[in-house]
Amino acid sequence: MTTTNKEFTKFFEDVHWLMDILQNIDVGLVVMDKSYQVVVWNSFMQNHSGKLPEDVLQRSIFSVFPELSETWFRHKANSVFVLQNATFTTWEQRPYLFRFPHYRPITGTAEHMYQNSTIIPLIDSKGHVEQICLVVYDVTDTAINKMAQQQANNQLQSLSRTDHLTSLYNRGYWELRLIQEFKRFDRYDQASTLIMMDIDHFKKVNDKYGHTVGDDVIRQVSRAIKEQVRDLDIAGRYGGEEFGLILTGTDIEGASIFAERLRTTIEKMVVISEGQQVKFTISMGISQLSNKITDHRQWIEKADAALYQSKEGGRNRFTISTF
Amino acid sequence: MRPHLLTEDQRDCLQEITNVAMGRAGDRLARLLDVFVVLSIPHVSILNPTDIAMALHSLNRESNDVVHGVCQGFIGGGIAGEAMLIFNGTDFNDLAKLLQYDRVADEQAEYELLMDTANVLNGACLKGLAEQIDTHFSFGPPMLLGQHCNITDLLRNNNMTWKQALVVEINYSIENHKINCDLLLVIAEHSIAGLVEKLNYLLD
Repeated sequence: MTTTNKEFTKFFEDVHWLMDILQNIDVGLVVMDKSYQVVVWNSFMQNHSGKLPEDVLQRSIFSVFPELSETWFRHKANSVFVLQNATFTTWEQRPYLFRFPHYRPITGTAEHMYQNSTIIPLIDSKGHVEQICLVVYDVTDTAINKMAQQQANNQLQSLSRTDHLTSLYNRGYWELRLIQEFKRFDRYDQASTLIMMDIDHFKKVNDKYGHTVGDDVIRQVSRAIKEQVRDLDIAGRYGGEEFGLILTGTDIEGASIFAERLRTTIEKMVVISEGQQVKFTISMGISQLSNKITDHRQWIEKADAALYQSKEGGRNRFTISTF
Repeated sequence: MRPHLLTEDQRDCLQEITNVAMGRAGDRLARLLDVFVVLSIPHVSILNPTDIAMALHSLNRESNDVVHGVCQGFIGGGIAGEAMLIFNGTDFNDLAKLLQYDRVADEQAEYELLMDTANVLNGACLKGLAEQIDTHFSFGPPMLLGQHCNITDLLRNNNMTWKQALVVEINYSIENHKINCDLLLVIAEHSIAGLVEKLNYLLD
């Protein structure tokens, strides 16, 4: 008798400290049966959700937490019941299962807790899965760090693509986009037109007013370009005072209307810089992509040749490439 | 087959038990997904890090027909490794239909679909294998290559510390669905002891 009693005492002591671990471990534990009624609700879940076991136990998890998508979760859990195989969710795909507000006033930076989770099968003595255990991990710090890193990477990428003076694309990235556009045309045969553009007598502006004024002129022209292009157009600074504009999905007619509008805008523009008023004009060459153009360099050459004609013809105008 | 990883007999035995395991996996998947899963006969070979790097490289190219890969670690019974599932020609809508998801709303939903599919296929297969050698594996979360870890970093760091690995390759396709994937179970040389022991036991 005493041996049995001792064994019982030992058993209950063991269960007691095992339960203590489950209660106090720093992850959320939720055990549910096949109808998704909650059977175990540990203190991590209790404390973060603010719901006591009596609010949750023997109730459907979906009725207590409407933010948990029932169809989605049933799908996930079904494979755990049928395959007896754990399944996982990650914060990248689904930031959280339960919306727990952030709780640390000093070191917490997110609005809510980011969560990874694992759903594990609990196999009974007959080898069946009648219950599953959902383990919820707080991965807020990892998520915040990773998102910050991603943001920094995006900023770096954008910096490496941008011309500092004008915030248009720099030549390297612009040419890359030109090549992509050329390939796209090859595949989909969708109209695309290139405008090469140059500020007339820019050297004289620089000589007469100085480089600061020259820079302001380039900035103002870039601003006018940015105001007039559409989202899908690709505008870049090609050289000192030369710009390249790729008008996607646009033919010669559309490009001519665009060029004329830009020309008149610049013609009317007065740049005030260093107490000086500067007026100037632009010249443009336009080339629509066709099957006759064999590579992206030839496309630029054609638009450049047309630009040269505009210069020869007296400037402040645009010319359409005729071949 | 290089003799110092597995003998001829051990390899045949492994091929045999993975084949049985695949039969069970196919049965489980059929019950879960209500489709007929065509599983190839498992192919056992030895690969080195360069082979794996090449496989990773093919997942990294910026082409139009994007190939996706999902890795998932497993460990148990003196065996440890990683299951790499490569989706070759796979249609997201077909995958969604298979797992009975309503729709593939965005890129994140697509990723989730890939990871769920990988988890189900890996799980079914590795569970079958574990049963055959009378052990139980613990699984890590599935990692989508290119999303949860950067492939270029994996290749650049060149941090594979092993020289040779045992690789079991299985091809899955699913009847009437545009889904085809290759599963590679990669077990590096230093994590193979438990498996060799089990194989010897079965051979005796």
